[in-house]
Amino acid sequence: MRGETEMNERSKMNRREFIKFGGSAVALVTHGAATARSRAAAPRRPRPKNILLIITDQQHIDTIRAGGCAHVRTPALDRLKRRGVSFTQSYSANPVCSPARSAIFSGRTSSEAAVPVNGRPIRSELPNLGQWFSAHTDYETFYAGKWHLPRTYTSDIPGFKVLHTGIGGFGYLCDTLMSRACEGFLRNRSRSRPFLLVTSFMQPHDICEWLRLNTEDPGRLRYPELEGQLPPLPENFDFDTREPEVVSRGRASDEPFKTGWSRRQWRYYLWSYYRNIEYVDGQIGRVLQALDDCGYAEDTLVVFTADHGEGLAHHQTVRKNTLYDEAVRVPLIVSWPGHVPQDRTEAAHLASGLDILPTLCAYAGIAAPEHMRGKNLRGVLENGTPARDFIVSEVAGNMGRMVRSERYKYVVYAGDSTEQFFDMKNDPGETRNLAAEARCASAVAEHKDLLRQWESRLDVPKAVSHRDAWWYIR
Amino acid sequence: MAKANRTIVGSPLTPTLLADLGALAERWVSPDTPDSRNRWTRMYRIWTCHGYRETGNDDVGYLRVRKEPSSAEGTFRLRVEQVVVETDALRSRIEADIVCRNDELASPVKWRLSSRFFGPDNEEQGDLGLAETVSVQADTLVIETSGATRRRQVPVPLTSDWSLFEAVERLDVDTARKWEVNLLAGLSVLMPGQKISYRGLCQEKLGSRAIPLHCFRQLGHGVLPTEYWLDRDRRLLAVISMNKAYILDDQAEDAIERRQRALQESYRKAQMRRRKAGQ
Repeated sequence: MRGETEMNERSKMNRREFIKFGGSAVALVTHGAATARSRAAAPRRPRPKNILLIITDQQHIDTIRAGGCAHVRTPALDRLKRRGVSFTQSYSANPVCSPARSAIFSGRTSSEAAVPVNGRPIRSELPNLGQWFSAHTDYETFYAGKWHLPRTYTSDIPGFKVLHTGIGGFGYLCDTLMSRACEGFLRNRSRSRPFLLVTSFMQPHDICEWLRLNTEDPGRLRYPELEGQLPPLPENFDFDTREPEVVSRGRASDEPFKTGWSRRQWRYYLWSYYRNIEYVDGQIGRVLQALDDCGYAEDTLVVFTADHGEGLAHHQTVRKNTLYDEAVRVPLIVSWPGHVPQDRTEAAHLASGLDILPTLCAYAGIAAPEHMRGKNLRGVLENGTPARDFIVSEVAGNMGRMVRSERYKYVVYAGDSTEQFFDMKNDPGETRNLAAEARCASAVAEHKDLLRQWESRLDVPKAVSHRDAWWYIR
Repeated sequence: MAKANRTIVGSPLTPTLLADLGALAERWVSPDTPDSRNRWTRMYRIWTCHGYRETGNDDVGYLRVRKEPSSAEGTFRLRVEQVVVETDALRSRIEADIVCRNDELASPVKWRLSSRFFGPDNEEQGDLGLAETVSVQADTLVIETSGATRRRQVPVPLTSDWSLFEAVERLDVDTARKWEVNLLAGLSVLMPGQKISYRGLCQEKLGSRAIPLHCFRQLGHGVLPTEYWLDRDRRLLAVISMNKAYILDDQAEDAIERRQRALQESYRKAQMRRRKAGQ
């Protein structure tokens, strides 16, 4: 057990480091107060020696072979899934890159973090995961890969030592180099020093480039030998057209509708996306293999998630930026041998990208920063204790929010009179909008009320454009 | 440039499209004298495309492949050097010395590989580098890293992406032939079930000229369709996979050095701005 004196010394040192790492003076005062609380509140539960947070970019939840996706080969994610708990109802806090990442790393909603759209930094008063861990734990904090808060790649991330950057939006090339750098880091490192390592892959986001390079439907397959191998279209390819205008407008501006894709071209797009998944699985496998080979696996908490999902032809959408499940639901797997149950699929409990920071804090034995909007999932992971009744996600450009309860999902976009309400138990593909149906009126009202309550707690800074709209959409 | 003002490329990259996008070097088409089949050096520029015509298309690195005779019977040697320059002038250098079997797909028999990483001031980041020596024993890789040995089972037949840069020059130009192989991408990440076939002799337009190029294609797990484009002398001119292309260019190293210096300069300026802003 660590002594109090040692802990105090480390806290002092880490506060100095925090300044070095870029925390503002205001933030430091806030954190200093929180440090005292964290020491008092630190639960005496087992703590993993190391933490590895793996993030992919734009990964649809149904893209893991062991999770039931027959169209991909994903040995690394299969193995990780078998080693831990995987959530089936895990949601991005905002299905767009920078906003989603701001929520993961700050534990606050993207609008509160002042990152409602891409390419903004987390506001300086809010500590990110690296800053918080640097200030309050003895974990050394490292980052590799995509950041996007604001720059896509940067060697200067507050609170982290950056191991590796990348190139523009080219996952296909730079993820390979990033996973090599992380492998080198793990194989070269002394085992005595605990680390928090974030490996943030760009793939399968390269599907965005694919879309721009395959906009035109040639009317035939460029590779005829794929004819028998193309995945089928999803069951909710056809959808309820009673949807918010912002969603239908967004769809109409996407590549498939610019040139009128055939069903075959849609299926070729699916096939291509799955190859990107396999590619990134290979890179994740390299990192996990190094973790195994170096003897870290048994005492490392591994968390795998994605910033947001991918349309993947559901509701005839590509990319993200809607609140349909394909865009907003993401994989979330947590493993720590001997502590987190193995091979458990967690289908009952809701999870959010907002939960990552408080959960990692709980595992590190420290209090989370104040005003976390997410929940600590440790209880859910280790003994199935419920963490919440509902989650809220918001979306960037369209300014919308959704409430997902155990049974239903309510979606509303600012200034759009068409709301959406889905029975997720009987209609998981979100094909029947029940918002206008009288039998659902009270359930809709309950969800609106949950959203009002949620919004009343938000602290959206003045600097966020359209702040008032972001504050209260409902 | 705002997204709305950019033009989407719209269709998959081909040599014609690379020429159209200005990605080909002036001397891209091979010289008249063919290389020796046993000893040659090829330099490829690594070019990436964001899918827009006007912006985001960059030279990000180079790949040098040298073929040399080997002392062991039935084998030859490939020496590979890949340098990629990344954001904030970070740089990675991978070097591999591969002994390949002289079979159709240049199966690697053994190799030494080092990966090294450098900071914006060219300082090596020793804590990220790796050196490994690997031999292939039937379906097992025996990997030695820093004195430790580990074994890894792999499916056979096996080749590597870099081996294919050599092998594809020797494959039959026969549309009836198919080759099936498992790929070790970068001599490390397994991408199984690759199928390689010959597409035919295609007329590609380079500006006002039309030239016939042989095209092989590769499809399989973990990779987007990859096309190998060769001239009539069967010299590999370009490898194109979705948004990435390796383009034969003997000036590639100089181009990347220039890019590195420009990125370093830009990084230093940004650092100065940050320091000033912090004061």
